Amino acid sequence: MAEEDANWRIWLAAAQAGDRRAYGALLAAALPWLRARARGRWPTATLSDIEDIVQETLLALHRSLALYQPPRPVAPFLFGIMKLRGAEVRRQRHRHAARETILDDVPVTSQALRTNPDQDAAVDQAAMQAAIGRLSPRDQEILDMLKLRELSLLEAAAVSGLSVTALKVGTFRAIRRLRRAMGVEDVE
Amino acid sequence: MSNERLIAALADELSPVRRAPAPGHLTMSWLAVTVPILALVTLMMGPRPALLSLLLRPGFALDEALALLTAIAAAYAAFCAGRPDQPGWKLLLPVGAMALWLGVLGRQCLLLSVSTQGGALRLHVDAMCVPAIAVAGIAPAVAMVWLLRRSPMFRTAHACLCGALAAAALAECTLRLFHGSDSFLTLLVWQMGSVVLFTLAVGAVGRAALGRARSGRTVSYAGS
Repeated sequence: MAEEDANWRIWLAAAQAGDRRAYGALLAAALPWLRARARGRWPTATLSDIEDIVQETLLALHRSLALYQPPRPVAPFLFGIMKLRGAEVRRQRHRHAARETILDDVPVTSQALRTNPDQDAAVDQAAMQAAIGRLSPRDQEILDMLKLRELSLLEAAAVSGLSVTALKVGTFRAIRRLRRAMGVEDVE
Repeated sequence: MSNERLIAALADELSPVRRAPAPGHLTMSWLAVTVPILALVTLMMGPRPALLSLLLRPGFALDEALALLTAIAAAYAAFCAGRPDQPGWKLLLPVGAMALWLGVLGRQCLLLSVSTQGGALRLHVDAMCVPAIAVAGIAPAVAMVWLLRRSPMFRTAHACLCGALAAAALAECTLRLFHGSDSFLTLLVWQMGSVVLFTLAVGAVGRAALGRARSGRTVSYAGS
């Protein structure tokens, strides 16, 4: 830790007393030093990881200003904070990495992507129910009997009191109106 | 957020801070608060008969001194654990003190069992130890958590475990002033077992209490 500037102790003690200029000067002077120490301690870390560790160190220093005891050297104080916070950041990264899946590595036929068709089906079903809700009560009743409850034409005729022919025509018209309600234009 | 903007934001937000006392000073404060309370607990529970002559016996005095040493070492380590610039060996001080304490107790137990032809190895149920340690240890534990909460800190788990051990060791030191044990094995199993139980329980509770205090003091900057 021989790289410590003699001013650091003065600046940090002044920062404890509320001197913002001294604090800013200390943080600016310590930034490249912290970056170099972080690279030395975690040589395999990416550049963004190093920057995150440095920023976490600055934030932890801000929270821990009261812990510095002048005239102790500042470098071991800063390095101690960086070691502890950096290890925590690295642990969090490893934990997150274990839970993440990079999609580029998954073939499009993979079962891991199975949720998409299910989601599409759910969306289609919701759209159809909304469209049925916009039809006349008679159309809704015919579709309910013949398409949702899947009654036969004779059973539906017995329940509704309509003739089989009327049910056939009614079904044809109700489906046409339903397609229109869902935005499908039939070619005549 | 860029580093330059972060530095500017932190400097803008700076307000004067009250310097945290040194770990040695905090340890003395902890002892100053807890020792009178434990003396009062001993008086209330009724000191053992012939306590003075007991304290003059080298074996008993050594046990008490080692329990006190463990308590002080653990308290000091607890306060050092929160400081980022404290060396690792200070955090391991209570391990050495505790090992020495247990070693001396074990040696005494062994010697006594040889001289009494196994008499010291009789194990009796001494259910009084657990509540007695809890009663004697509650004030040191509360004082420890209160002192640890006063400043932001690192290595919370280590600090809490050491702090709980300090409270338990001091409680055990006090317990032997008002409660004796039938045999050395009873002392080792029930009293030291209570110390371990108390340390683990208070360590977990203290960690939760400190965790809540820490999350309340989090600075709201997001590094991006």
